[in-house]
Parts: sequence; structure tokens; C-alpha cells
Amino acid sequence: MEDAKAEVLRYLGYRGQAISSEVSALVDTCMAEIRTAAHPRHIWRVFPLRTDEAGLALKQTDLVLAGGDIRAHLSGCTRAALMAVTLGIAADRYIDSRKSTDLTAALILDACATQLVEEVCDQVQDEIAQSAGEEGLCVTSRFSPGYGDLPLTIQPQVLRILDTERRIGLTCTARQLLLPRKSVTAIVGFSAHLPDAIHTGGKCDTCAKRESCTFRRGNNEGDNVS
Amino acid sequence: MKTLQEIMRERIVFIDGAMGTMLQQYGLELGQLPELLNLRHPESVTAIHREYVQAGADIITANTFQAHEWKLGDAASVEDVVTAGIQCARNAGAPFVALDIGPLGQLMEPMGTVTLAQAYEVYRRQIVAGAEAGADLIIIETISDPYEAKAAILAAKEHTDLPVFCTMTFQEDGRTFVGCDPLTAVSVLQGLGVDALGVNCSLGPASLRPVVDAMLRDARVPVVVQANAGLPVIRDGQTVYDISVEAYTDAVAQMVNAGVRIVGGCCGTTPAYIRALKARLSDVCPKTPAPRRATVCTSGTKAVVLDGVVTEIGERLNPTGKKLMKQALRDGDNGYLITEALRQVAAGAQVLDLNVGLPELDETAVLSTAVRTVQGATNAPLQIDSTSPEAIEAALRVYNGKAIINSVNGKQEVMEQIFPLAKKYGALVVGLALDEDGIPPTAQGRLEIARRIRDTARSYGIPDEDLLLDCLVLTASAQQEQVMETIRAITLVKRELGLKTVLGVSNVSFGLPQRELLNATFLAAALGAGLDAAILNPLAARYREVLDAFRVLNDEDRDSARYIEKYSQLAADVPTPLQTADTPGLAALIEQGRKDQTADKVRALLSDTEPLDIINAEFIPALDRVGKRFETGELFLPQLMLSAQAVQNGFAVIRDHMLSLGQRRESRGTILLATVQGDIHDIGKNIVRMLLENYGYDVLDLGKDVPIQTVVDAIREKDIRLAGLSALMTTTVTSMKDTITAVRDAGLPCTFWVGGAVLSAEYAQYVGADYYAADAMESVTIANRFFAAE
Repeated sequence: MEDAKAEVLRYLGYRGQAISSEVSALVDTCMAEIRTAAHPRHIWRVFPLRTDEAGLALKQTDLVLAGGDIRAHLSGCTRAALMAVTLGIAADRYIDSRKSTDLTAALILDACATQLVEEVCDQVQDEIAQSAGEEGLCVTSRFSPGYGDLPLTIQPQVLRILDTERRIGLTCTARQLLLPRKSVTAIVGFSAHLPDAIHTGGKCDTCAKRESCTFRRGNNEGDNVS
Repeated sequence: MKTLQEIMRERIVFIDGAMGTMLQQYGLELGQLPELLNLRHPESVTAIHREYVQAGADIITANTFQAHEWKLGDAASVEDVVTAGIQCARNAGAPFVALDIGPLGQLMEPMGTVTLAQAYEVYRRQIVAGAEAGADLIIIETISDPYEAKAAILAAKEHTDLPVFCTMTFQEDGRTFVGCDPLTAVSVLQGLGVDALGVNCSLGPASLRPVVDAMLRDARVPVVVQANAGLPVIRDGQTVYDISVEAYTDAVAQMVNAGVRIVGGCCGTTPAYIRALKARLSDVCPKTPAPRRATVCTSGTKAVVLDGVVTEIGERLNPTGKKLMKQALRDGDNGYLITEALRQVAAGAQVLDLNVGLPELDETAVLSTAVRTVQGATNAPLQIDSTSPEAIEAALRVYNGKAIINSVNGKQEVMEQIFPLAKKYGALVVGLALDEDGIPPTAQGRLEIARRIRDTARSYGIPDEDLLLDCLVLTASAQQEQVMETIRAITLVKRELGLKTVLGVSNVSFGLPQRELLNATFLAAALGAGLDAAILNPLAARYREVLDAFRVLNDEDRDSARYIEKYSQLAADVPTPLQTADTPGLAALIEQGRKDQTADKVRALLSDTEPLDIINAEFIPALDRVGKRFETGELFLPQLMLSAQAVQNGFAVIRDHMLSLGQRRESRGTILLATVQGDIHDIGKNIVRMLLENYGYDVLDLGKDVPIQTVVDAIREKDIRLAGLSALMTTTVTSMKDTITAVRDAGLPCTFWVGGAVLSAEYAQYVGADYYAADAMESVTIANRFFAAE
């Protein structure tokens, strides 16, 4: 839980400031509350990859993965898992219910939910890695629509392929915002080789905002969490 | 040939099974729109339908699930796809062809951005196409949000005469993805007049049993079950389902035995499942439903049952005698409504009365906006309080759930206007025991009016359980001898007519001192006479005590648990007065972010300090110091916000104090804030709002997902000089640019600053903003500089 709390604080822009016991306790309470409110659901499925004139694509589907970043990420992969995770609408509503009465709590809850959905993604990825491991394969890190030059516009197709609306209640708006808000879709490659640097590199390495982002990992070394 | 309605009365009706599962066997690629096959491979679609016809299905569901304009986009027209879909089913020899209507694929407000009117338009086009293509009925299915079902049902009822079935999708926790429970679903759907309702998808039939049982308890119309063939598992790259035909049929047969009258399949079922159901159940005589007839009002996710308990209806969302609310309504300030709604719910209100009647406002527009605002903030059902039929209808239309209308009375003209609305939208109705001749002086007279209201309601098809009779309170100061007639009338109406009763209590004390004492005593008497629901101020302490106590005596508060929890510690809980000398000063409290203590401190200071001195000598310097420490990185955001909330709480005290003296704090300027169209992440904007208000600015907060034209209009009408826009996503930054461009094109001299997670100085330049704020404090700096320069 200490790791999780450090992540929550990172999302809140924490950089090693002295934290009063009240604020620390508030973060603990919010973490517990969001875990009660959330109803995490996930779904994943493995598809063979193929490369043709249109680019990298998932077989058995009509999904083309455009852009150089995803191609580099999946280089050497013969298959890939498509995954979707959501905390459910109850998490959104719980956060929203506090916005007009206690904005600080709402902000902290929002950060806790972001941390939690990443934590669930990590668990799902472990599940995928285990499945790959049974065949002697290893997996890449997660790569989501909107990272690097992989367009966000594939989001509706990703959701349709996984049937997320019916299976886990995950939708997206006309502008490709995922709803419930605390949700993630991602692609994980299966490879016969040990992952090289680009596969294991932090989530920040391919991000367009990596130079200016205040949340970037490794920028804050504070451990003054009481 | 017999009509569907005739068959439904005589025997179990069979609907077909899955289409998607079958299409995949026919080679459909994942990610494609299955509905397009109606045009590209109609022979395959017809072949699947034919298999189900041969298996014995009465109703064939056309392949039109999401054949609506949002999903189809430019791929094909709705009319072409729907017409071809109906034709495929017809060509397969279907006894009855159902137009299939699925969810929109986007969430409705408040969780999402889709309004009822938008959903209605999309469904209308799909439904009209289906009716014109010759569908025999409409099945609305796989719905999570009753609000979405409402849009589709209204579109169906207003444009066709076809029978409408509606089934919703429940998860293993017994709720839909958006949190709707079976009782809410049944209440809303049958209120809207569907011909059958039930469940489909998500789970196998045995797992759906508890949901189905809950629906059977209250459903007055036939119940449908179309379960999945269990849970999906991937085998050799294909999705398969884990329940056998035998197990499926067994579970469905048990539900038919319990009262289900229409059966079929959903994901994973094949013609083999339907054939087995038909063989097993075609000779079974359907059970006649015998629902309990409970009085239920609901929101989209919560049902309140008024039987055998006392229900509290909060009265505070009403501008009568409330200066602040009047001002909020005139300013379009939704925050007031939300805060007041949440306070009442926190105090114990289960239903909220909503009245926005002010002579200078367009009640129809304001009431429906208020409904959307309040239902977005709380799941307590609403009581729509108005005398205008137009305003009531507009409000009922955008309401998510089964509302209460307040009110009709014994006047023929009023009943003729309101009852059709109650029937159409499935609302409960409060009936006032008065007519053209006023309030009858005797209980017997009020009973006669109640009887007339009930009989007229019945003639419109409104069941008795959807009526709440208000026997009307007279004031003890003016008509003392008649006060107890109200109590007698409650007893009479309940005994003679079996109707539920409701009462607005507080008028009884008008013109007398210590009103709460009279109110509470009268409430206790009314409860003793069997009053079912009281319209009152849930924040009033004496009401609370009477209600908490009565719930013990009425066997509602089991083992007196809540009562003991609340009252056993009371004597020990007397708060010790603040020792001013020992506690930190106001500025220190703010800097430490002790938001729960500032209000008391400000109250104490106001006894000998001018409000402006508190603001200028305490609030602003403290905020400045906190802001500086935030900017230097000494504090992080939650710490800044706790201080800001401390100031906010202090300001609330000062505002009330000044208002009681007839004063208002001088504004430093009005600033518009909005989270742009398409974006719904608004915490950042709300933080900026709080800080700006702390610094003395009036903020016109347009909320989230704000249409471009709304921003343009507001800037023009309110003569806004400075506006802040927020966006979180790359995809919504373009909205920001479009909004600013539209304002500039309209020739309005407004300065913009922008902020949000993906924003940067470069992005700010790209969207045409004048300033970029990297964090909330920078927004304050921008505003200060702007208004200083002005």
C-alpha cells in the first residue's frame, strides 16, 4: 500500500513536501473509499499480428495499428493482447458526489482512482504475462491508443472488438473519451525474446509531453509520507 | 392469424437467440458493424433468422441492434440498414418481426454527455425506419440506464402504435452497469407503458434468477427473460459459452414456473437452445401476474417505496421566502441547488420537492434545467412542484426515473391537464383535497374530493397506488377549529379509499411563535393518523426528533439501531465553546487548512469586527501566503485547496451575515469559466472557481461539456471581459480553439486564458488564448492582473 500511496501523491503533484498527519490521513481515507466504491472489471483477448501494406494489424479483426511507435513497441511480436479495464461508473459518481461538498476530497479521490485503475491494469497484465509464459513467451509493457503516434481514433474499434459495452460497461464518447472515466485500453505484445529497452521502458518514454510533464516518474524523490 | 397480444395471453411466447454469435460462425470480423451485413450479405442474415424460425421462435429479432446514426456514421444510412434488416427477418418467414433497438454506445448525462433530447432523436430515426419497413413490434434491449430506455420508449410511443418490449441488463451484483436495480427498472418501464419488460444478456439464466424474481414481484405486464448461455470463454481463438442447452432450459423453465411469460436467448445461444425451450414450454400455461401494488417513486438508480414507512420529502428547493435561492435562480447558479439538495439528503430527506416558480423567470426552461442539475447531483427521487402543465411536462420529460407531480386538485380542468401527463410519463401524483369551492371545512368534504380525484385518475388508467392524497393543513392562528379536521381526513382517506397520504406540515404554525414546536407536534399527530409522507424541512431539529422517534415506534428503525446510535451519546456531546485565547487566529487556521474550524472562528469575530476587515486583514493575506508557498513548491495542491476551502467556509458565514443586513460583498469583477464541449473532466475548473471566489470575483460557471454557442451567448449577455476555459484531453483542445474562434468571430472583446492537463503555452497559442495558466494559482494571478489593468 505504501507504493500505491506514493503513486497517489505523485498524481497530486507531490514533490517531497512536509505532509501533515491530517493530509496523510485524508489520502489514506480516500484510498480506502475509492476501493469500496469502485467495481473493477476487465477483459482481454489475444490476436495474431500481421503486417501488410496498410501496416500492422490484428488478425480476425479490422483493426490497423497505425504509426511508428506501436510498430517499434511490437517489433518481434507475433501476437498481441488487447485489454480493457474500468473501475465502473460508481467510481465516477462517488468522486462527483464530493465535488460540490469537499473539492479537496474529490481531487484526492480522483488521484486514488487513477492509481487504482493502473494497479488493476498491472494485475491484468500479470494475468496476460502468465498466459504468455505458459507458451514460453514474454510480454511487452502496455501501449494505449493516444500514446505516441498511435491514434486515439481507434478507440471505438478497440471497444467493439472486445465488446466492452456489453461485457464490462465501457463506452467512449464521440471524442473518444472513455466512460466511465477511470478506464484504460491497451495493447500488450507477445514476444519470444526477452524484452529490450523499449519494451520495458517506463510509460513516460514515448509520451509526447515527456519533457514538460510534472507527473513524470523519477522527478520526485520525496519519501516524507507519514 | 392471432395477434401477438392474443398469443401472449394464451401461452409462453418464444423469441429467437443470439445474432452476433451466429454471425461470427458465418465469418464476421470483430470490430465490424454486424448491422452492415443486412446490406452486404442479406442471405447470411436471412439464413440465421430461418434457423430460428425453424427452431420455433414466434418473434424474430431483426439485425438492427445498433443500426443508428452514431454507430453507422457514413458507412450506410439508417433507413437502408433498418429496412434491409426487417426484410431479412421477413424473408426468413418470421411469424412476428421485431425491430431491435440496442443502447446508443455512449453514456447519458450526468455520467456521460448525451442528453435525453439527443438520444430521442437518434432513436426516433431508427424507430420510424423500422415501423415504415413493417416491423410488428419493437424490442429495446441490453439497456443499462433507464434514462436511455425512456428516450427509446418515448420515441416509439410518439411515432408508432407498435407493441414495445424493453429488457435491461443486470450484473452479478443485481444492478446494471450504471447502478439501476430491478425495482427501479420495473417502476420506470411500466410507468412508461411498455407491453413487456425483463432482462437480457450478461449472465446465464440461473444467475439472473434473483433479478427476475424481483421483477416478477412488481411487474403488472409480462416479464421477458433472454439470458446468455452462461459466461464467455475463449477456446481456440473463438468465444464460446459455458452453459449447456439442458441446463439453460431447466433454469428458464423454473422461471416460467415462477411467472415469466416470454423467453428467448442472448449471447451464446443458438437455434438448439430455442428449439429445446419450445419443446419444453410450448404447452405450459402462463401464470397470471399477481404483483404487489406498491407505491414507488424512483430516480434512475434508486427506488423509494412508500408502503408501511414514513417518507420525508424535503421542501427547501423552493424560492418562496428564500432570498439566496431567488438570486441563484436568476443568476442560473446551479451550485445553490446542488448544495441545498445534498444538505437535505444528508439530513434524511428521501425525496426532494423542486419548485422554481418566480414570476420573472421562464418556468418551463428553468424547471427542466433544475431537474437535470439536481438529478445529476443526487439519486434521491424528485417531486416536480408547479402549477404550469407546460413546465411539468418539460420537467417530466427530462427526468430520469418515476417522479411525483405536485400537484392536481379536485378541479376538473386541472385534472384534465395533469392526469394525461402523469399517465404518459408514469409519474405519481399528489392530489390536493380542494376544488372550485375551496377547501372543504370537514374531513368528510375532503374525502369526497379525494374520491373524485381517485375516480378521475382511474379513468385515465392511473392506478390507485400512484396517488398521494394531501388533506391540506390550515393555520392554527386563523382556523384553529379546523386543524384536527386534517388529521381526521387522513384517517378517512386511508380507511375509505386505501390511498396513500402526504402533507405539507409547516403551514399549521403560520403567525405563531416557536413554529417548530407546533409543526413537530402536528407532524406527530398526523403520523399517528397514518400519514405516509411529509413535506418538510429535514434540517429542522424538532422534525428530526419526531421522525427519528416515530420510526422506532412504527417498527421501521429495527432494534432502534439508528435511534440509539444518534441519541445515546447526545448528552455527552455538548460542544465546549472555543477558547479564543488558546486556539490559533483565523489567518493561522486558514494557513493550516483547518477548514472545519474557520466558520466558527469567523462567526465569533463578526461580533466585533466588520466583515470587510475580516476579508482584507485575514482572508486575503493568508491566501496570499499560502499561494506563495504553493508557487515555490513548499506546499502541494491538496494543501492549497484545504486552505481555500477554509476561506470558502468562512466566506459563507460572512455572506449570510451581510445578507441579513441587506448587504452584498462588492465584486472585483465577473469571470466566466467553462470546461469545453466534449470534455467532462471538471475538477481543475472547480478548483479555479473556488480560488477566484476566494479572491472576491463573481464566477459564472457554465459547467462541463459546454456547447460553443452557450459560451458565446453568455459572454454577450453578461458582458463578460475575462473567461477561462479548461480541457483535459488532446481531443477536446480543438473545442477550446473552436470556442475562442466563435467568440472572436462574434466580435466580442473577451480575454481568454486556458488550462488543463494537456495544455501548454504552445497549445494556448494554438487555440488562440491570451494567457496560459499552468496551475490554479496562476489563474488568480491572471485575473488580478487583468482587473487591475482595467
